[in-house]
Amino acid sequence: MKMKSKADVVVVGGGIIGLFSAYWLAKSGEEVVVIEKKYPGSGSTFRCGTGIRQQFGDYANIQMMKKSVEIWKNLGEMLEFPEFKFAQTGYLFLLYSDEEIESFSKNVRLQNKYGIPSRIITPEEAREIVPLIDISEVKAASWNPTDGKANPFLAVRGLLNALKNLNAEVYPYTEVKEILHRGNEVKGVKTSRGEIRADIILNATNAWAKILNEKLGLKFPIEPYKHQAVITEPFKYDEIKPMVISFKYGGAYLTQEVTSGGVIGGIDLKYGPTWDLTTTYKFMREIAKNFTHIIPALKYIPLIRQWAGYYAETPDHNAVIGKVREYDGYYIAAGFSGHGFMLAPAATKGIVDIILHGKSDLPMDFYDPYRFERGELREQAIQMG
Amino acid sequence: MRIKEHPVIDFSKKKGRKVTIYFEGKPIEAYEGEPIAEALHAAGIRVLNYTPRGRPRGLFCAIGKCSSCLMKVNGVPNVRTCITLVEDGMRVERQRGLEPLPQDYHPPKWKDATKTEGDVIIIGGGPAGMMAAISAADHGAEVILIDEQPMLGGQLVKQTHKFFGKRQQFAGVRGTKIAEILKEEIEKRRIKVFSRTSAVGLFQDGDKKMVSAVRNNKELLEFYGKAVVVATGALEKMIPFENNDLPGVYGAGAIQTLMNTYGIMPGKRVLIVGAGNVGVILAYQLIQAGVKVVAIIEAMPKIGGYFVHAAKVRRLGVPILTRHTILRAEGRDKVERAIVAKIDENWKPIPGTEKVYNVDIVALAVGLRPSIELLHQVGAQTTYVRELGGYVVRHDDMMQTTVKDIFVAGDSSGIEEATTAMLEGKIAGLAAALRVGKADLRAVNEVKKAHEELMEFRSGPFGARILEGLEKVMIK
Repeated sequence: MKMKSKADVVVVGGGIIGLFSAYWLAKSGEEVVVIEKKYPGSGSTFRCGTGIRQQFGDYANIQMMKKSVEIWKNLGEMLEFPEFKFAQTGYLFLLYSDEEIESFSKNVRLQNKYGIPSRIITPEEAREIVPLIDISEVKAASWNPTDGKANPFLAVRGLLNALKNLNAEVYPYTEVKEILHRGNEVKGVKTSRGEIRADIILNATNAWAKILNEKLGLKFPIEPYKHQAVITEPFKYDEIKPMVISFKYGGAYLTQEVTSGGVIGGIDLKYGPTWDLTTTYKFMREIAKNFTHIIPALKYIPLIRQWAGYYAETPDHNAVIGKVREYDGYYIAAGFSGHGFMLAPAATKGIVDIILHGKSDLPMDFYDPYRFERGELREQAIQMG
Repeated sequence: MRIKEHPVIDFSKKKGRKVTIYFEGKPIEAYEGEPIAEALHAAGIRVLNYTPRGRPRGLFCAIGKCSSCLMKVNGVPNVRTCITLVEDGMRVERQRGLEPLPQDYHPPKWKDATKTEGDVIIIGGGPAGMMAAISAADHGAEVILIDEQPMLGGQLVKQTHKFFGKRQQFAGVRGTKIAEILKEEIEKRRIKVFSRTSAVGLFQDGDKKMVSAVRNNKELLEFYGKAVVVATGALEKMIPFENNDLPGVYGAGAIQTLMNTYGIMPGKRVLIVGAGNVGVILAYQLIQAGVKVVAIIEAMPKIGGYFVHAAKVRRLGVPILTRHTILRAEGRDKVERAIVAKIDENWKPIPGTEKVYNVDIVALAVGLRPSIELLHQVGAQTTYVRELGGYVVRHDDMMQTTVKDIFVAGDSSGIEEATTAMLEGKIAGLAAALRVGKADLRAVNEVKKAHEELMEFRSGPFGARILEGLEKVMIK
């Protein structure tokens, strides 16, 4: 495919953030191109745990996720891609101690304030939602029925379809070598396949964000950490509908994947910062150990695949989203710390509002790229599933 | 039905103790040492499960590599019944689509996995793996041999024909006998053998290698070594035609497993698709077992297998139809008929040339593809090479992959045959022993000799294509 030589906006990174941003931009009439080093979704999106939740512990992520869920719910329709479905199957945090119950109760109160119908339920109620869980040690659970999950492959396919219809171009296997600028104004990118002139560039490369930033001598604290996930053989759908989470057992999250029926999930075991993506035995063993404590019947089902991907982490586990002061026309939406997929609809809406109008109704200040140099770290986001 | 008399194998000696298993509540006679699906086949049961869309499925590969035989065993779904051995009183049920998990609220009692250490870990107990184990052990390496099957030998255990080649390569000896000889050689050495043990992961562990495995479907084992030889063999290919999933459409290897390993009649009348070596040898073995072979069809303009084998089955009255393909299998819940047709130069079926064969088995002998899953997982570079059966891992002439100290041998390094698998296994075993510092100059000479034998073997009629393929994967 011959590349365009100019556009209004160049989005670097063809993951969920880059594609969704391109979608909002193209819908607003901008001529947009997406540059992707490998193929769309290949970075972190296709490796994600598929969970979409509003049960956060701060005002910004709660509101952002509420907005995201509204969009996720209608995405199939919005993209005219009915294959995509948001499964609104909830998130169930299993709680084993009074301290856990207390801290989750506080979060629930905050979530309720913003209209999220989460609540603390009894172990018996939790078992009604997921009949296979072992509740012998569970004291309570934090439950929100409006959280859910979605298949990232279908989400990307839907977005690619829509971009095609909007005449936005996506260039796979194309690498940005240089960011062109005159003084402090960006002017385009030099890629492995030629130059594209544009006055606006969005860095949507998540784990790779610092590589692109360094081309302009910029530094934002985003580092790649290796996380892993597994999927099991499929079994009857809807045995494990919600995302089930247990901090006690390995910080595990697990659910039945929307389209296959296999259990997808992971535990809290990270390595890094590192670019290495080989899988580890320790992860596999800890999965077996912890998953079977949460849902003992999982001991009967074999794992079929284990893989690794990056969490693009920041010091407070919240993304870096906004306008970059040093260069006019340069924007960033990266460092999602494991929440890129779920946050994508609202986060990209926010950054596109900022690009087009200089402001947004969404609480985008929370993700201010300069909070780190000011020493204003946010409370660490609940980084789970 | 079980084979009563066989010109080559005496099954009465091999049979284990009689046990009873229950298929959907009905008692079925089975013998210890045989897998569930094979025992059910002997009892005339062809449909093992129904897909989520309700299509019946039966056996296909019979070596645990596809998912065609999944059943519920003692209430547990997704059990590979083709390699799970029968136990007295076992309850076996057809799986209908995706089944629920058993209602079980007891977390398993977690104990740390048994750790086994050695110099060289070999995955796969077929001809390549067994030779690798013997060669490495001969040079003083501590060897661990892991194999998924109930018995060592890989596909040799079902090769009742005599091998070609030179005397030192077991020429004139039947595959089943070669398996026995190699097994005895392994027993003579201090090789730690783990049967019914599936290697499920291959990892880097600092300077070492780590293999995680599951024994008997329940026990987690850990293996640590300095080098690993992956000799995981191959899996049967499938070709597209209508109802290619109907029970009774079997891989050639599955038919050999049934009749040559377990003494079970695969069917009454068989159509073989593919006239390569496997197809023509299978025809002869079927006739030996007393099964009628109605025809062998082959899409290529000429027979691919060894001329002597093809001539033999033709003399026995089996027509070999080149330039023919299978259009569809027909039958209610299992194969009752197969429809074939002639094809033109563009591989399109010629209308009016259809033939109907009344058969209960369609045997697919349409090639194999290498099993490279573990190598892929550990990050070995792969490349697609048609001549070698599909995706293969790149390796050097010592059989080392692009991951240091991880070697490959046999069909998993490219589809060839048992003789070359044994030679490659030998090279890989020796190279691994050298790498872990156990072998000396003698091993280097043995590698040289094995290379010469390989070259000589590959100079035959089938070698040219293999050499072309190897040209594309070799790291120089």
